[in-house]
Amino acid sequence: MTLNRSLLASVLALLLGVAVVSGVTSGTVLSLFNQAIVYAVFALGIGVLLKQNGMVSFGHALYFGSAGYLLGILLQLQLASAETIIVLTLLIITVTGFVFGLVIVRVPGVAFGMLTLAIGQMFYLTASRARGFTGGADGMNIDWPSTLFGMPVSQILKPGTMFLISWTTLVIVMFLVACLLRSRFGAITEAVRDNEERARFIGISTLLPRASVYALSALITAIAGVLSALNTGFVSPENLHWSLSGMALMMVVVGGFKVLWGPALGAVVYFIFKDILGDYATHWMTIFGVVLIAVIVFSPTGIAGALMNWLFDKPKAGKQAAHSH
Amino acid sequence: MLTINLFNGLVYGALLIVMCSGLALIYGLRRVVNFAHGSLYMMGAYLGYTIALNSNFWVALIAAPAVMAVFGVLLDRYGFRLLQDRDPLTVVLVTFGLLLVIEDMVQTIWGKSNLSVAAPQALAFTVDLAGTPVPAYRIGVIVVGVCVALGLTLWLRFSKIGLFVRAASTDPVTTSMQGVNTDLLSAGVVGLGTALAGLAGVVAAPFLSLSPSMSADVIIDSFVVVVIGGLGSLAGAFIAAMLLGMLQAIGAVYLPDTAVLLPFVFMVAVLIWKPSGFAGSRT
Repeated sequence: MTLNRSLLASVLALLLGVAVVSGVTSGTVLSLFNQAIVYAVFALGIGVLLKQNGMVSFGHALYFGSAGYLLGILLQLQLASAETIIVLTLLIITVTGFVFGLVIVRVPGVAFGMLTLAIGQMFYLTASRARGFTGGADGMNIDWPSTLFGMPVSQILKPGTMFLISWTTLVIVMFLVACLLRSRFGAITEAVRDNEERARFIGISTLLPRASVYALSALITAIAGVLSALNTGFVSPENLHWSLSGMALMMVVVGGFKVLWGPALGAVVYFIFKDILGDYATHWMTIFGVVLIAVIVFSPTGIAGALMNWLFDKPKAGKQAAHSH
Repeated sequence: MLTINLFNGLVYGALLIVMCSGLALIYGLRRVVNFAHGSLYMMGAYLGYTIALNSNFWVALIAAPAVMAVFGVLLDRYGFRLLQDRDPLTVVLVTFGLLLVIEDMVQTIWGKSNLSVAAPQALAFTVDLAGTPVPAYRIGVIVVGVCVALGLTLWLRFSKIGLFVRAASTDPVTTSMQGVNTDLLSAGVVGLGTALAGLAGVVAAPFLSLSPSMSADVIIDSFVVVVIGGLGSLAGAFIAAMLLGMLQAIGAVYLPDTAVLLPFVFMVAVLIWKPSGFAGSRT
């Protein structure tokens, strides 16, 4: 997609967001949409890592939950204004993600996934056992000030506003990522993903680009964590649990990770599906497990891949998946 | 204090050996990291609970792994075998889907509350170990771990099928060209690996309680073990399992607050030193 087309798509998407808010009056529906969009940002974080590094993370809830905890703790300490703290939180998570990345992206193939799962679970255990700041297994409330970015928080927390904020964040993040991936950085990371050895032969450092993509994906997931913290005003160890990482990963796979909007689509489909299921939701694990297996086996490029094939009759996406190793 | 902790470390290490040898075997032949391995362990434990309730523990010790072995063979025949030409990550995600299904199934059948299995009567006494009384059952667990490690090593090293398994783990295509039925072999090995997960579950049941979170706890530690040991390496997994058990035991004495973090710190340290684990060249 060219830059102009990305820009056009983004502007159209923003207008669509405004249309949804003015068209939908039900607060419950807007809340549901908002939740879906927060998870869409989360899934986008995992998707970027998978698309650009070819790495599957089973522990990204680490960054989702940590962002909430860090925000909560920093706000409690009242070291700076809430706006500064939000930026600071994202910055700390990005730097931490980069340092973690330097260690763990060196681990080859599937072992990487196992490692992310283990590290994520380590933080879950720490948060659920720690007392003091984090409140242990009970979680902690996040003390937002009465105004944020010059707006009263009570106004921000209305479902319509909250949805608009999340939606705009998603569109902007997606646009920026699209721009970044069209740059030299995108080309380098793709080269490293497709053949690390050859990339090294032509003189590209292979560790830094991969660690950077990892840091980027941590940052995007942390943004989702901040949105969630704003929306619920609460963070608990559940935000760090592996089942959350697994759910988000499932959205990515079901939505399709070959295109940037695939994970977001997966998140929306997930929440609509879950809402329709309603009464059967006690067995959601079986239902989603079966859906996950079915999608992977029959349509490895996910819904987005299937849509692209159907709309543009481009077998490209399907072929790529079959050849990628 | 330290003696009993070290002893418990050995017990847990032995349990991890049984778990991880299954994981490593399946990885060796099918190149599949089985994310559902912890769920298979849980399934074995709950099956063992029901069987022990209706007959006795010894029957459960044999029957539950046997049922799991059949499940494993089916899993290979209708799962891994059909997916063997696919991207390894695809298959990993399929096992993740399977994990969700099994977890839900176990919760639906046996409920969410904690259950417990009594240790068998014959082992319900304590043994004096350097002045500390330890339950005989736990010594039994160590014996099981040692038997599994020794048995697998001897089987792989000296039997004809063991030779085939080693060959197929190194190069499945050449092995099948030499006239070995690798599909049959894989079905057998995945069956064995699944049975070992079931065995670990039954063995763990009397000293760890049965709960829906039991699979997550053990799979995390097992992953740490096989990543540290080097994927697919049995020897690496044995060493890493014992080290991890010991580390947790010693940590529980000297660093009670941070003991849960020790395995991960250990893992990160090993991976900085050797990114593919102790037996790295084997992956």
